[in-house]
Parts: sequence; structure tokens; C-alpha cells
Amino acid sequence: MLSLIIFIPLIAALALLMVSRESVAAIKTVGVGAAAASFALSLWLLFSFDTANPGMQFVQTFHWVPALHINYLVGVDGISLWMVVLTAFLGLLAVMLSFSQKEGLRNFVALILALEAGTLGVFLALDTILFYVFWELMLVPTYFLIGIWGEGRRVYATMKFVIYTLVGSLLMLVAIVSLTMVHYGATHDVTFDLRVLTLTHIDPSMQIWMFLCFFLAFAIKVPVFPLHSWLPHAYVACPIPALILLTGAMSKTGAYGFLRFCLPLFPEAVESFATVIGLMAAAGMVYGAWIAIAQKDLKALVAYSSISHLGFIVIGIFAHNGTGIEGSLLQMINHGIIASALFLIVAFIEMRAGTRNLNELRGLSKAMPVLYGTFMLIMLAALGLPGLNGFVGEFLILMGVWTSSMFSGLSGILVLMGGLSIVFASIYMLYMFQGSMQGKSDNQELTDISRCEFKLLLPACLLILLIGLYPKPFIDRVTPSVESLLHLEKTVNLHTGEESGH
Amino acid sequence: MFASSWLILLFPLLGFIGLSWYGNRISRKLVGFVGCGTVGASFFMTLVTLSNLLFLQPEERVGQVQTLYQWISAGSFKLNLAILVDPLSVFMFLIVTGVGFVIHVYSVGYMHDDPEYSRFFAYLNLFIFSMLVLVAAADFFFLIVGWALVGLASYLLIGFWREKASAVLAARKAFVMNVIGDVGMVIAALVIFETFGTLSFVDVFASAPDQFRPNDDAMLLITMLLLVGAFAKSAQLPLHTWLPDAMEGPTPVSALIHAATMVTAGVYLIARCHVLYELAPYTMYFIAGVGIITAIFAGSMAMVQYDIKRVIAYSTMSQLGYMFLAMGIGVYSLGMFHLMTHAFFKALLFMAAGSVIHSLDGEQDLRKMGGLQKVMPLTHATFLIGALALAGFPLTSGYFSKEAIILSSYHAEMGNIVFWAIAVLTAGMTAFYIFRVYLFTFFGKLRSPEAHPHESPMIMVAPLLVLAALALLGGVLGPWVDSFLAPVFGHVAHPHDNALETIALIAGIGGIATAGLLYMVSKQRLDLFKEALAPLYDLLLHKYYVDEIYDYLIVRPTKAIGAFLEQKAEREGVDFTVDQVGLQIKEVSHVISLWQSGKVRSYALNMIVGVVTILMFVVFM
Repeated sequence: MLSLIIFIPLIAALALLMVSRESVAAIKTVGVGAAAASFALSLWLLFSFDTANPGMQFVQTFHWVPALHINYLVGVDGISLWMVVLTAFLGLLAVMLSFSQKEGLRNFVALILALEAGTLGVFLALDTILFYVFWELMLVPTYFLIGIWGEGRRVYATMKFVIYTLVGSLLMLVAIVSLTMVHYGATHDVTFDLRVLTLTHIDPSMQIWMFLCFFLAFAIKVPVFPLHSWLPHAYVACPIPALILLTGAMSKTGAYGFLRFCLPLFPEAVESFATVIGLMAAAGMVYGAWIAIAQKDLKALVAYSSISHLGFIVIGIFAHNGTGIEGSLLQMINHGIIASALFLIVAFIEMRAGTRNLNELRGLSKAMPVLYGTFMLIMLAALGLPGLNGFVGEFLILMGVWTSSMFSGLSGILVLMGGLSIVFASIYMLYMFQGSMQGKSDNQELTDISRCEFKLLLPACLLILLIGLYPKPFIDRVTPSVESLLHLEKTVNLHTGEESGH
Repeated sequence: MFASSWLILLFPLLGFIGLSWYGNRISRKLVGFVGCGTVGASFFMTLVTLSNLLFLQPEERVGQVQTLYQWISAGSFKLNLAILVDPLSVFMFLIVTGVGFVIHVYSVGYMHDDPEYSRFFAYLNLFIFSMLVLVAAADFFFLIVGWALVGLASYLLIGFWREKASAVLAARKAFVMNVIGDVGMVIAALVIFETFGTLSFVDVFASAPDQFRPNDDAMLLITMLLLVGAFAKSAQLPLHTWLPDAMEGPTPVSALIHAATMVTAGVYLIARCHVLYELAPYTMYFIAGVGIITAIFAGSMAMVQYDIKRVIAYSTMSQLGYMFLAMGIGVYSLGMFHLMTHAFFKALLFMAAGSVIHSLDGEQDLRKMGGLQKVMPLTHATFLIGALALAGFPLTSGYFSKEAIILSSYHAEMGNIVFWAIAVLTAGMTAFYIFRVYLFTFFGKLRSPEAHPHESPMIMVAPLLVLAALALLGGVLGPWVDSFLAPVFGHVAHPHDNALETIALIAGIGGIATAGLLYMVSKQRLDLFKEALAPLYDLLLHKYYVDEIYDYLIVRPTKAIGAFLEQKAEREGVDFTVDQVGLQIKEVSHVISLWQSGKVRSYALNMIVGVVTILMFVVFM
């Protein structure tokens, strides 16, 4: 089941390379078919998921490299469930949007599918080596998507992105290997199974550098301030269909990594670094928002607003309590929906007005009433209007931070910085919305978004309202796994080398 | 028993959804009918709820929580979607749906020629729904939701004429200022949850008196944080600058949102949380102080403005100051009573002013009006009633409510002579500025020659008459309000002090007389007078330069820092450093890799080969 979700897009991507470049219809059928099948399976997964079970479900495994005990091992729990659904959904969206691509459609769609598969794999892998393979698999399609189809300084942007990310992930690889060695030292048992590894108690001084290796890889991917400088370049250069996956799904892999690796594996290290990370994240929230206020390019504006929102997610995770983490997980869904929808809107505006510079845009609402309405709803969700989904996540995160014991007395300051970034969010979002949609209109001849384009935005609108009105079902599926994460007991001890079973 | 009370909220919501979806496809008549009908239905359901409530014994009327479903359960944070039906919320329902309905009907006439008629009614319905959420909420979370939604509706309606640049700016200003208030409320909610482990009103208010002693830090913190929201929404100092600018919106909006209902949300909040405020007497003094200062501050500005709507807007601020004073000195039901009468006469004044503006084709400048009492007899009469009530003329509704607050500001436990003196002075100013407007508008000669003023159509005049009756006679409801709200607040003592009452009365009548006198003296003398007081006049005309101060102290630095961060920190700092690291490495590798072609694709190929090699190495050793 889980393997199908991952490999349908991947196989379709390979299959597309066999299809002739000219047969557009076939490309579209294969692309949409694969993405839709994967999404449908993820929905099936969602409904057959056992809400009360905190452990891994739908586990599939076989020996991959028996000599080294590396297994193909996938499974899903409450923490990854929504990410899988979100990624499959955004993958479908991205494939559908990429049909407007004029040149190299075949390769473009294939790469999008490969990117989707890599991201899904990251969320589902339970073997650390497998995780690493998928982690790198995400990188390759992104490199080409930005480098070939991008705009502006695309080569610079993509090089920066790839090198930056590689630095982090290679360090992570070192940590992955040493993690298994530590476990081997304790039990004389070679395994890359994350479920087993999390039970190992690691010496605190070891924890610190291993934590830092993992943290760096994930923090670059999110990104956490001040490791974000690849993001504005990459996002601005990235073609919008790929950007939807990049911002909606791939940026979540970093946050997911924190939850899957850093928190359960290195509890002591997390505790000693939480304050610093909290401050970094909070600084990123304010910093990103502040720079977003000064942006004129809509794409750059949304990119910087993403830095701000992702800071929220990170700070909630390191609050290390149920409210904060569940808020972060909800906010990961929210940001995936909202940011991708905002980029879609930017794409629609650019397609019609020929520019996305705020200085050259104004008064579009008259010509595009439907876009105006949907844009308004999404904009309001993005600035965290109470009653819509963004606020639920932000509120839970702030609540988690406020009641957290991790930030050594700085909770109040962190919450205030969060509050400041919310105020700034209302400013830049209104700049963006009012600047482009309101004011004197001089673009009467522009056409509104088509029915088909509206359908791309509609799911986002519905989810914004649904999560705002009734977040309980979304949170309920997450809660048991988060609880078990927070109450994890280390049963394998390095020094005695015995299982002290409870 | 109160499950049907959900319908009060449902109707306007359906109206909003229906009108925003189908509004452009149905006839104008139907739009007006739906827009008003939903609010009317809501008002009817409020009456049903009221009668249900009155059947109960007074002590059973509080704490009736109606739960719809469990909304969330995350970590230790659990919350139900619920409404609270008690005398205070029903009282607010009555004002919101009652006055709201009247203003909706008025809007049918006022907005008749607007091309975006249905959008206007959709937004109005959204506003009514949001305001009802605010007052119906049974916990702090949904209070904040309603709080923000009314802010949204206000934003949409201020910026309703979205091609008008000044309206767009005013809307943004109002929104951002209200978000500041929202953030204060959110943080307050966090503290409340940490302190009490729940956000539900009933639980919090039940446990607060046992857990805390007056002026405990937690209580002071919570009450002050809530005040940030209250001050922002009710345009109290120093978060008031958005309200005068909000007059860019259509006049019915000013009447409904920026006079009768939304701006009183801050007063409602304090009344709702009075249990907490009573545990924080210092905060109470602070509220009373800010209230009375705002009252005189706004009243003084209203005396010199020439835009008819702005005068009334400042007057609203000033009257809200009175209500905050009443809250601060602990006479809650008097504050709520003034909230009610103010809703009547201020909505009336705005709508009568709207009727004038309508007939002068959008002219708002007092200097271009005049002599309208003959052409617009009904508008004139209703405006006069509104003005008398605002000035506190004996036996009008405003007289009863304002006089009671002024008297209490001295006689209540927390009152003192300073509060009383400023309150009386403000009462004098109030009478002066509103009669200045009255005389400017309706007496003398019309000062804009091209205009053809006419009495407004019946659909606009009828609502004026209804509100005029309420503004005139609403005073008799005083004792009923008192006893109806008693289960929530307890009974209030009504002091009698003939001397003080007379002085306040004289101040009011003196204000009216001064307006008359100044109006009658010749223009030359008036100019002399203005010259003598030039610095003061200037200060008032420029609204104490608060806007300018904020611009220089907050708005510009914020933008400048944003640009600075982008230029210096981002481009020349973070980005530059990262690039330098890359460049230095490249420099080194350049020396040892001169054989490379320099083609991007071959670089890419190398990189992939490298990655794969490393992987193979790791995987297969």
C-alpha cells in the first residue's frame, strides 16, 4: 500500500521517458493518472488509518542490503499521515498546473513526479538509510526543475540550493552511520530501523554533535533563520508548479525530520539547544515578515512570508509539548495549503497581467471578481484570521510555547515575537492583496480565472474553512503518536548493554 | 431550551453566503429583501430567546451554555464550540439585531444606486454574524474569533469603495490596528489558559474569586492584555486613530459598525469579564482614567472639525470614553445602558447625517451645507432629537444614561471629583459640538449653490423615525435594563445629588447656548476669536498631531527597517557570507580543476555522479 503510494509516481516518471515528446495527450494521461492514483491511495490510507494506534501502521519491509542489515522499511503514523496526504494532493496539483508549461513538458512532468515520489518516500521511510536515499532523491529533480525551467538567475539559485542542502545532508549521513554504530556498541546488533534506534540511550556528549548534524540538515531544508539564504533565490527562480511542491511539501520534510529524528533520538540535546533554536526560529519569524513588508515582487513576498511561517512551525516543535507539536503539525498542513495557493494566485496574476511587480499592478478586482474572492479568503488565512485554519495552528503553537518548559524563561519574549510577526503578516498580506487587487483599475480587458483554474484553488479554500471550523478530526489523528513521542522511554542502555525492559 | 438561539447566528451567516454567491444573479429587490430579512429573522429569534430567558428565575438566567460539538482537543487544550445565553448576551443580541435591522432597511435606500449593491449587503450580513459570534461566545477563543471577524467585516466595509485610494488606506489602517488588539487578546487567552486551565467563561469566572486576591499579578496581567484588544476595538487612546479615518466607508456602515455595535465591543468585553476586573482594581482605575481622558480628548477635537461624519465619529469616541469610565468605576449596568441609548441616538445621528449627505450628492463638508431645515423637515427633526439626546437634554434617553454615569463618577466607590469634573466639562463640549453641526447644517443659507437638496425617500426616513422614537423615549428603559442585567452584575446603587445634577445640566445647556451664540456672532468676530486661540485651534484641527507622531515614530521606521534588513542584513549579510564561503571554495578548486569545461550541465553531471558514488560507497561499502 505505502509502497504503491511512493512508487506509482516514480514508475510513471520513468515511464514518461519512454513516451514520445510530442504526444501531449499521453503525457497528460500518464502524469495525471499517476498523481491521481497516488492521491487516491493516500486518501484510502487516511480513512483506513487507525486513529487510536500511536505506533507505525501499514508497515512493509524486505531485506534490501542484507549484508549490512539495511532494509526497505516503510510505515505511517499520526505524524506522517497528513504529510503523505498533503504531498500526494500537492503533487496532483503540481502536475495539473504544469500542463501550461510550453517547453519540455514531458521531462518537466516526469521530474515533478519524481520529486513527489522522493518527498513521499521521506515521509514514509523508517529505515535511516532509506530515508537518506529518498532525501537525496528529492534534490535531483529540484536541481533540474529550477536549473532548466527556472527564471532569472536560475543557475545561481539552483547551485546554491543544491550545495547548501548537500552540505547538510552529508553531515546527516555521517550521523546516521554513527547512530547505528552507537546502537551496535550497546547491543551488538546492526540495524537501521528507526523504531529500534529511538530506544537507544545515547551518551549526552555524543548526542550533541549527532544532534547538530541532523539539525543542520533539517534546518537548512526548512529553512531556519539564518540558514535560509537559498530560499528566496530558489523560490523566485523556481517555476510555479515545482514551487508548489517545494514550498508545500518539501519544506515540511525538514520540520518532519525534527519530529522523527531529533526529538526522539536526542532528548537531552534537544533540551539544551531548545532555547537557542527557539530564538532562531522566532528571529526568523520576525525577520522574514519584516523583509516581506519591503518586497515588491509578489513571488519574493510570499517566499519571505514562508520563512516567517516556517519559523512558527519550528518553534512549536521545540516547545516539546502536546499543544505545541500538534499545533505545528496542523500548521504544516495549513502552510502547505496556503502557501501553495498563494503561489498559484501569483501565477494566475502573472499569466494575465504579465507582471508580478506590485508597482505595476493595481485594481485587478474589477476584471477578476472570482480571483478577488478566493484571493481574499486565502490571504486572510495566511495572515492568521481567527476562524480560519491559519489561526488554529498559530494559536496552538503560541499556547505550546507559552506553557513550554523548554525555553528557560524566554517563553514570553518568544510569544511576543510571534505576536509581532502576526501583526506584520497582516501588513504585508494587505500590501499584497490591496496593492494588486484594489485601487483604480486600468486593466479592464483582463479575463477572470477560468473554471479549471478555479478548481485548482477550490480545495484550498474548502480546507481553509473546514480546518477553521472543525480542526478536531485533523488533530485527533495526530494526538496518539505525538503523545507516544513525548513519553518515549529509552530502554536500551549503552553502558550496561542490556535491555532493561519495562 | 436555548438550542434555538443558534438560529440567531445562522440567519445572517446564510445571508452572507447566499448573497456573496448568488448576489449578482438575483434582482436588487431580492437582495435587499434577503439582506434585511435575515437580520429581521435573527431579531425575531432574539425575542424568542428573550422570552425564554424571562420565564426562568433570575438566578437561573446565567451560565446557560449551549454546546454544538467538541471543536478541538490538542494536548491539554480542549475546547467546545458553544454559545453562552445569559442576560448580557441577549441584551447585546437585541441591540445588534434590532439596530442592525433598522440600519439594513435604511441601507436599501442609501445604497440604492450603488453598482455593487449585493456585495454591500453580503458584507453587512457578515458583520452582523461576526458581531453575534463575538457576543454569543462562551469562551475566550470564540470571543477572539468574533473579535477578529468584526474587524474583517469592518475592514471590508470601510474599503467598500475599493477604487478610492483613501478608503483602501483607511481600511488597512483599521485592520492593522485591530490586529494589534487581537494579538493582545490572544496573549491574554494564553495567560488565562495557563492560569485556569480552561478558556470557558463560566469556569474561569467561577474559579477566579477563589484563586486570586485583588491586584494579584496574574489578574493585572490578564486584565491589561484584554484591554489592548478593548482599546483597539473601541478606539480608546492610544489606539484610536483608525476610527475617524473609518468614515471613508458608506454612512450606514458608520452608523452600524462605527457607532452602534462594533466599537462598543470593548465595553462589552469588560462587562463580560467584570469578575476578573474586580480582582484588578488598579486596572479599573486605569480604565476609568483612559476613558475619561479619551472622552475629553475626542470631545475637544470634535469642536473644530468640518467634516460632518468626522465630528460624529469623534463624538462616538468621546461617548465610548464615558462607557469606559462607567466600567472603570464599576457601574456596569449604567455603562451598558449608555451603550444602548448611544446605539439609538448615535445611529440616528449618523443616518440623519447620511440623509443630508445623500441629498447633497456626497457632500460632507459643513461649510457647504446650511438651510436644510425647510427642504428636509423629517431629517431635520430626527437630527434634532438625536442631537438633544447626545447633549443630554432633560428627558431624552441620553439624559438618563449619561447623567447617571456622570453622577456615579463622583458618588461610586471608585469615583472622585476629578473624574466628575472632566465628565461635566466633556458634557458641555458635547452639547457645543453637536449643536454647532446642527446649526451649520440646517440653519442659514445653503452654501453650495449647485446642489438640489431634497427629502430622502421613505425607506430611509422610516428608520430615522423609529430610532428617533427610541432616542427620545429610550430613557424609560433604564430601570428595566438595571434589573434585567442584575443576575450578571448585581444591583447598582442610584445616587441622588441635586446639586451635582444641576451643574451637569447647566454644562449641557451652556454648551448648546455657546454654539448658538458663536453661530450668531458675525464672521469677523468669529475670526478674531479663532486668531486669539490659534495655537489651540490648530492643535485640535490637526487632531493633536497623533497621526503624524505615529507616522514618524512607528510607520516610517518599520518600513525603513524592512528595507534596511533586506538590503544590509539579507543581501550584504547572510547571503553575502554564504556566497563567500562558496566562492572561496570555488577559488581553491579552480586552481586544481582547470581542466573543467565550465558548462553547467557537465557540472550537474559531475555532481550527480558524485552523489551516486558516495551513495554506492555507503550502501555497498
